[in-house]
Amino acid sequence: MTNVYIEGIGMTKFGKFVDRSMKQLLLDASIQALEDAGNPKIDAVFVGNFMGGSISNQEILGALVANELGLGYVPTAKVEGACASGGIALRQGIMGILSGEYDTVLVAGVEKMKHASTADVTQAINAAMDTDSNEKQAGLTFPGFFGVLANRYFYETDATKEHLAMIALKNRENALNNPLAQFQKPTTMEEIMGARIITSPLGLFDCSPTTDGAAALVISRTKGDIHIRSSAQSSGPTQMQDADDLLSLPAVRESGRLAYEKAGVGPEDIDVVEIHDCFSMTEMIAIEELGFFNKREGWLAIEQGRTKANGDKPVNTSGGLLSRGHPIGATGVAQIYQLVQQLRGTAPNQVEGARLALAQNLGGTGSYSTVHILERL
Amino acid sequence: MKVYQCDNCEYASVSKKYRCASCHTGQLQEQTVSSKGNVYSYTDIHIAPAEFAHLAPYTIALVQLNETRAKVAVRMNTEVSIGDAVDFDRMEGGAYIYSKC
Repeated sequence: MTNVYIEGIGMTKFGKFVDRSMKQLLLDASIQALEDAGNPKIDAVFVGNFMGGSISNQEILGALVANELGLGYVPTAKVEGACASGGIALRQGIMGILSGEYDTVLVAGVEKMKHASTADVTQAINAAMDTDSNEKQAGLTFPGFFGVLANRYFYETDATKEHLAMIALKNRENALNNPLAQFQKPTTMEEIMGARIITSPLGLFDCSPTTDGAAALVISRTKGDIHIRSSAQSSGPTQMQDADDLLSLPAVRESGRLAYEKAGVGPEDIDVVEIHDCFSMTEMIAIEELGFFNKREGWLAIEQGRTKANGDKPVNTSGGLLSRGHPIGATGVAQIYQLVQQLRGTAPNQVEGARLALAQNLGGTGSYSTVHILERL
Repeated sequence: MKVYQCDNCEYASVSKKYRCASCHTGQLQEQTVSSKGNVYSYTDIHIAPAEFAHLAPYTIALVQLNETRAKVAVRMNTEVSIGDAVDFDRMEGGAYIYSKC
């Protein structure tokens, strides 16, 4: 129990915005969150961002927010944890309140990626690998890592590329109902299965896109309707070749275990889930590591439709990273945005009566993971 | 091939660590083992980052070495399947390049 509450949420549409700067996106989401919270006094700002320095030559995001929004001379910081930057920024805000230093914190996440070429973005994302390693020098990439995982998963189970396609299709179908999602064009199993290969067996629809976008939250010790029941974070191997079990993401498993323990609930109690599906294969592993389904049996649950919005364990009702989009630093915050809407009863793909929600945000090839469990009071 | 074997548990890695990544107490001891192994898994990379774009498509394999628990990530000079026997060919820009036996 953190006794920290979510007072306000904000999010831009995700997509390609050539005429809007990273700062504009960040401020847009932040202002929405402040207004949703009733413009309380903000004591600190944490901004999740990964490649603002390398791709947009823009840092000092925390100070930009404080100044542009007239928040005063409050402490701010940018938080970097690769694709988990947003989840870690939220956790830093929670820790700041738990320490007694702050009463109310603005947490935001932003990324601006669409102006750069795919090769340059892939290169920038590779900064989240151990660049001083033989495996990075061999030419391994993030989609490559999850391609290696997928081939081994297929080898050890009866799962096939079709099961990955089912995940991609489910998340696209969810995104069709989410006006803020990047991809709102319907697709089919045939189109997904036939799409060009990125890193075998992963095709285009198995990989999250590059995205521009921002999301923000106001969190506070003042009691509200949405309680952050627990916050947990773990680290994992930074190299594929160091994994004791290739089909495990220990950071996900451990952050989940800690979050359940702190919240006093189990995976069976969770009504709705946002999972870090940077690749379809990542969602497969994560639903197992978080205890929703047995190890090596996630594909069966997918086949049975159990993770669909109307299934018994709805995963990524927002469309997930695959179809809502993945503006890296914003993703962990956008997951919370969707879950707060679920708990308020106003979400796209609303899960009837949702009371407990779980968000899991991953960084690197399993290097960082955060899990937050939210409850409606 | 140099590998680092924990003196307290089964863990072994091709990269040296301050302490064992598995039991967190053991020290890793350097060993020299055969570079021969079998493909544990692999991927063919069609979309590569800028620095490797000239090589694409290329194959990355995770190789289970024969004489240790350690695995090593390598670039193959040919396409492979899981289980294929492979061996070290050469070093190139800090990467292990492997070929089929």
